[in-house]
Amino acid sequence: MILNFLTTALRSLLRQKSYAIINLAGLSVGIASFLLIALYIQHETGFDKHLDKRDRLFRVVEIQNEPGVGEQHVAITMGPLAASLKADFPQVVDAVRIMPAFDIQVVNYEDKYFREKGLYYADPSIFNMFNIDMLQGNPKTALLEPMKVVLSEKTALKYFGSTDKALGKSMLLGKRSFIVSGIIKDQPAQTHLFYDMLVSMSSAESLPEFEWMKGWGSNSLITYVELDRPESRVNVEAGMVDFLKKHVFSEDDGWEYLEMYLQPMKDVYLDSGHIKFQNVTASGDKNLVIAFTVIAILILLVACVNFINISIARSVKRSREVGMRKVLGADRQSLVYQFISESFLLTLVAVVISVGFIELALPEMNKLLATDFHLDFTGNYLFNIGLIALLFIISLASGSYPAFYLSRFQPVRALNGGSGIKGGSAGYLSKGLVVFQFMISVGLMFSVLVINDQVRYIREKDMGITYRDAVFLNFGSGEDVQKFEPMRNEFLVDPRIKSVAGCSFLNGVSGSQGPVFVDDSAKTKLTVRFGYVDYDFFDAMGVSFAAGRNFDRNITSDKGGSVIINQAAARKLGWRNPVGKRFNSVMGADTSLKPEVIGVINDYHYFSLRSLIEPAVYVMNPERFRGVVIGLYSHTNQQEVMKFIEDIWHDHFPGTPFQPVLASEFASGNYKNEQKLFSLFIYFTSISVLLSLLGLFGLTSLLIEQKTKIIGIRRVLGGSVWRITAQLIRDYMILVVIAGLLALPLTYYLLEQQLNQFAYHIDISMFHMMYAVLSLTVIAFLTIVYKAHRAAKANPVESLKYE
Amino acid sequence: MIKTVNLTKIFRTDEVETTALNRVSFEIQKGEFVAIMGPSGCGKSTLLNILGLLDNPTEGEYYFLGKEVSKFSEKQRANTRKQNIGFVFQNFNLIDELNVYENVELPLIYLGMSSSDRKKRVESALEQMQITHRRKHFPLQLSGGQQQRVAVARAVVANPHLILADEPTGNLDSAHGEEVMNLLASLNQGGTTIIMVTHSQRDAEYAQRVIRLFDGQIINENIKSGRAELPVI
Repeated sequence: MILNFLTTALRSLLRQKSYAIINLAGLSVGIASFLLIALYIQHETGFDKHLDKRDRLFRVVEIQNEPGVGEQHVAITMGPLAASLKADFPQVVDAVRIMPAFDIQVVNYEDKYFREKGLYYADPSIFNMFNIDMLQGNPKTALLEPMKVVLSEKTALKYFGSTDKALGKSMLLGKRSFIVSGIIKDQPAQTHLFYDMLVSMSSAESLPEFEWMKGWGSNSLITYVELDRPESRVNVEAGMVDFLKKHVFSEDDGWEYLEMYLQPMKDVYLDSGHIKFQNVTASGDKNLVIAFTVIAILILLVACVNFINISIARSVKRSREVGMRKVLGADRQSLVYQFISESFLLTLVAVVISVGFIELALPEMNKLLATDFHLDFTGNYLFNIGLIALLFIISLASGSYPAFYLSRFQPVRALNGGSGIKGGSAGYLSKGLVVFQFMISVGLMFSVLVINDQVRYIREKDMGITYRDAVFLNFGSGEDVQKFEPMRNEFLVDPRIKSVAGCSFLNGVSGSQGPVFVDDSAKTKLTVRFGYVDYDFFDAMGVSFAAGRNFDRNITSDKGGSVIINQAAARKLGWRNPVGKRFNSVMGADTSLKPEVIGVINDYHYFSLRSLIEPAVYVMNPERFRGVVIGLYSHTNQQEVMKFIEDIWHDHFPGTPFQPVLASEFASGNYKNEQKLFSLFIYFTSISVLLSLLGLFGLTSLLIEQKTKIIGIRRVLGGSVWRITAQLIRDYMILVVIAGLLALPLTYYLLEQQLNQFAYHIDISMFHMMYAVLSLTVIAFLTIVYKAHRAAKANPVESLKYE
Repeated sequence: MIKTVNLTKIFRTDEVETTALNRVSFEIQKGEFVAIMGPSGCGKSTLLNILGLLDNPTEGEYYFLGKEVSKFSEKQRANTRKQNIGFVFQNFNLIDELNVYENVELPLIYLGMSSSDRKKRVESALEQMQITHRRKHFPLQLSGGQQQRVAVARAVVANPHLILADEPTGNLDSAHGEEVMNLLASLNQGGTTIIMVTHSQRDAEYAQRVIRLFDGQIINENIKSGRAELPVI
């Protein structure tokens, strides 16, 4: 019987090729898009799953609420925190501190010099807590003593050519010598914290520049804790207030407004958008994952609705077959089986085609997202089970309504070409489905327009700083600062180079935040971000002044005795005329100097547009420069001048790899990931718009085909073609308007929610809504005019015979 | 074999009520060939649909093979139908997506017959209707006469007790029409009961009895002479 069903299904598809193509194309594109998004979501939700104790591991997050920056969640903590948590809370089984080794710029063994990105200080407990496979060395002792380093297999190979030769060898990290005490297995790619080299935390503790680690005043380390059971989190968090009172608030110059909580390890990658200073190598965006999930479901829904619509619309053509099968003894059940198996067959074909589409699209998607997604039919069980489940769900979802609808036909009427179902339910259904299709189309079109404008806004917004025509070179070590001045002069010889300035980083600010105290009786305190820049930085980066002046070489007091603030700081401090005001002290500056505000720069975005511009204070303090920014004239051929810069660099710093950071790349890097994901989102949303338009076209065509008889009768009675067409258009436009009224408010609300995540975003305008509705109305209008006109123009005799 | 008592069928819409059959009572014996005649709209097809268990009467009783079936559910009707009744329609009603062989095979599939049995039965029916050479063809590739022969083959393949024919020659030219009528006559001679709705006096000649309907009522029932004696159940 199944064979008979499938034969009929296949031949029926082949006979109505155009609808089969609409159905198959729609369904396979829909499935392919759904599966591509599923691969992305599977990737995003699959982070840190290699950690056996994942459920019991937590990252300590602080909520700081100091005046100035306002409430902020940060994932960096104090040096003594880990040990104290372990000592004070019985639920804390273990704790580990991890800290990026920003102080080590270059790693050297024999003739090999590299800058390492995955270089961290860590406590020995990391091995046990993160179940790291140690291939050589003893996990208990490898990171116990100072000046020990553990390498990943990959890193050992890079420096020593073989993992066997590395253990016990000595290598230079910065200026100090470390002994390789272990080799660990390379980490899987899906980890929020990717480390290639682990240096014993005791090394840092033994060094004078890390003296601050011993106190509770500074934050710089990531602390993870392992609890006895996941539920203990509540108890530990409840005890935090007393814990902080005991250790932190008791300190004289410590924190005043501080809370702490434990963030589950499973949330660290995806759900950390609200956390600053994360020091992670990878972070995702939960909202984007949700948005993608919604769009994936919508795409599938649109594809299924298309399928259902076309099946029902075609049912009139198939009613004779249904009637005859009933006459010959088919009961409802066997007809339901028949139509579901038809839908299964079609879905199966669509799935096969969709796999082809996926194979075609994956290289592009991988290129865009810099990922390595691939279809794996043997290893990716979850995906394969999902694929099979999808096959059944789509078959049932799309097949069941037509199946039950068609099988209800009364045989006698069905043989005469009608449904025999009372009440004209199919008429209402068709209209309902048209409205639904339009709703989805309008909603999606609206979303595409708004998101597209937001992406463009971010791309084109004036950042207040010119991340263009400049390049940043990172110093290899602290001593390099001394050699900076002579190098600067050599650079400036070249006419293509506009300016050279030492600084914390390209964006002018450092990673550090801290309090500034105003020199007034109220002891006003403001938490600000510090920037260390020299005389030419603001010129080099095109940052303009709102008031006052820049640092001046000829004024000696500017070196540490003067500060420049941004407008945000002036606003927070309530200063209308900041120039001339004084602070009591500024981090890293001599407190006796009472630094004076000499200038106010216009606010510029030193981070992404997601966050507001925070108060910043700039100090001319060469000791804290981390590199040099070189401003170029805009017409300069960057490649040529780079060669010149590199030669000078190597003359001065022979052991430090030349790794320039281009300002343009840094700027786009801030949004690169976001931009790519938004582009992807727009692609997929456009696909679903196209799918729903395709469905609408198919459905309209079929519905108008069914009206052929009415059109014929009207024509016989003397109705004009245009009058008939106009009536059809009027009927449809009413549905379009209803759909618009239903879809717009809902979509508006959802889009507002998304946009509000950006500190800087566009406003949704009437234009977006009008454009969404109008563009779809025009498309629907043209479809109807084309189809209706064709039907109306046909010879009425033909139209009547057709029925 | 068939007995109806005061069979009535009323079609109701919101505003109009149409009595298609009005207290129709008659009997048909096993092996009879009965023609139902009358003008358009007199209720011929409605009667045939009720007799074929495609529709239920509004009132009255209908005994088929001794069982009162007028209140049967759709499932019961489908079951009784597939085991006992074959249909031949004016417009053939072959399924366009299935070839000749598959169309004829369909009733046997719904009877749940094994594939080897089906093969034998289909081959024999095709042979009987002399259409074996067209077995791989699709309905649209056949002439009207050939399509109706396929329809008859499909009607007889399950060896039904009763064949209902609704204007079987209505869409055929006279030569093909005669061919189909001869087929039905020979089936009747083989013992199959046949009830045929027709407009054609010529086709009615093949029947042993003609029931004449007018406005949903039987106005005349005549047994024709010169044909076989009526067998008695």
